[in-house]
Amino acid sequence: MRIVEALRRSGVAVGPDRTIRDAAMIMEQSGVGSLAVIENDQLVGIVTDRDLVRRGVAMDIPSDARIDSVMSTPVITVDADGDLHDTFALFRTHAVRRLAVVRGEQFVGMITIDDLVIDLAADLVDLSRPITAEVLFAHRNSAPLATR
Amino acid sequence: MYASVGDRIVIRGHHIGEPTRDCEILEVRNSDGGPPFVVRWGDSGREALFFPGPDATIEHFEHIVN
Repeated sequence: MRIVEALRRSGVAVGPDRTIRDAAMIMEQSGVGSLAVIENDQLVGIVTDRDLVRRGVAMDIPSDARIDSVMSTPVITVDADGDLHDTFALFRTHAVRRLAVVRGEQFVGMITIDDLVIDLAADLVDLSRPITAEVLFAHRNSAPLATR
Repeated sequence: MYASVGDRIVIRGHHIGEPTRDCEILEVRNSDGGPPFVVRWGDSGREALFFPGPDATIEHFEHIVN
């Protein structure tokens, strides 16, 4: 499965000069938990709702400060057409919950651990079906071999 | 996914109780009409760059040229 096919939500981005308050409002209105920060068509950072709390509110950064004062950079990216399983190692290595998905230099969206867990859960249900059937129902007996 | 200035993007809720959201397209960044789109969110009037995913649909409106 390609990474882009696992995206569940639209991506939302803002410029680095937008305020923390703006970013929080846009997150709320668009229903996303993270924003890409894009300057001159280049992805320069990512800011999450957690960043707003830990690097903003908890550090007494005023809400009219620029969003790039609390964003994470450099951004860990994955290729939109790459294999979804490649993201597993990145999540494990970098201990992040979101990765920016890009095609070339262009931001496409965010892939989250939640997206992967939902897909994996669906796969597990499919895999467990024959096992469940075998546990719940008796094994079918083979017909006796024909003898002369 | 293609759009024109003035079209509306509708984003369905992802779970029960999450509202449907919408925004208006103010600018189409690609010359072929594709994303990203500069959008304005209804309630606050705040603008952002939008990269539509599978949760988004575009409502096209007839554009009258004066």
